[in-house]
Amino acid sequence: MSFYENTLVTKQDLGKTELEKIKEKYNEIINNNSGKVIKIEEWGLLNLARKIKRYKKGFYIHYKFEGSKETLNEINKKIKVDSSIIRHLVVKYKNLDTKNEYFKKEK
Amino acid sequence: MKRKGKKFQKKGQSSLNKLSLFQKNEGRFNKSCPFSVKNAPVIDYKNINLLKKYISENNKILSSKITAVSSGKQKKLTREIKKAKILGLI
Repeated sequence: MSFYENTLVTKQDLGKTELEKIKEKYNEIINNNSGKVIKIEEWGLLNLARKIKRYKKGFYIHYKFEGSKETLNEINKKIKVDSSIIRHLVVKYKNLDTKNEYFKKEK
Repeated sequence: MKRKGKKFQKKGQSSLNKLSLFQKNEGRFNKSCPFSVKNAPVIDYKNINLLKKYISENNKILSSKITAVSSGKQKKLTREIKKAKILGLI
């Protein structure tokens, strides 16, 4: 078992209910496949630096979880089929820091 | 290849310190590596404000000759910048 971080970039024209569906969907996928979600962050709607697949903005969802090879395979399979996700990135870490949040909204 | 000797020590002065004539003086870089000090900032693909300092106007990664980042940290920087570019953050 090791620690991972997974960020998803979704389309900009999704409603609130659809966003929460996506959020819960991947939460369940990780938990059901010998993994454990530690933290979920929502970065909100951000401007993309350049156009990706004709989109200028995207919703960012960030997972911090513990898992094995099976969970990674399952996530990658599901993301490939999912049409509402533009980009994703999975990074492996030795230690997760859950304190720092770089995209916290100030207000 | 690294040259040793007196010529190499002059590296950080005047001309290489600035990218162009029009760059402001605030943006000048130190002579020593900013990441090999105590309590140095964490190099991470989520820490965009830090990574933006080490990128040119055309989104190219600046060389360590200009920024004076040590070679090990420069490798880490490039990896994190590329990760951020995949996600469209930079």
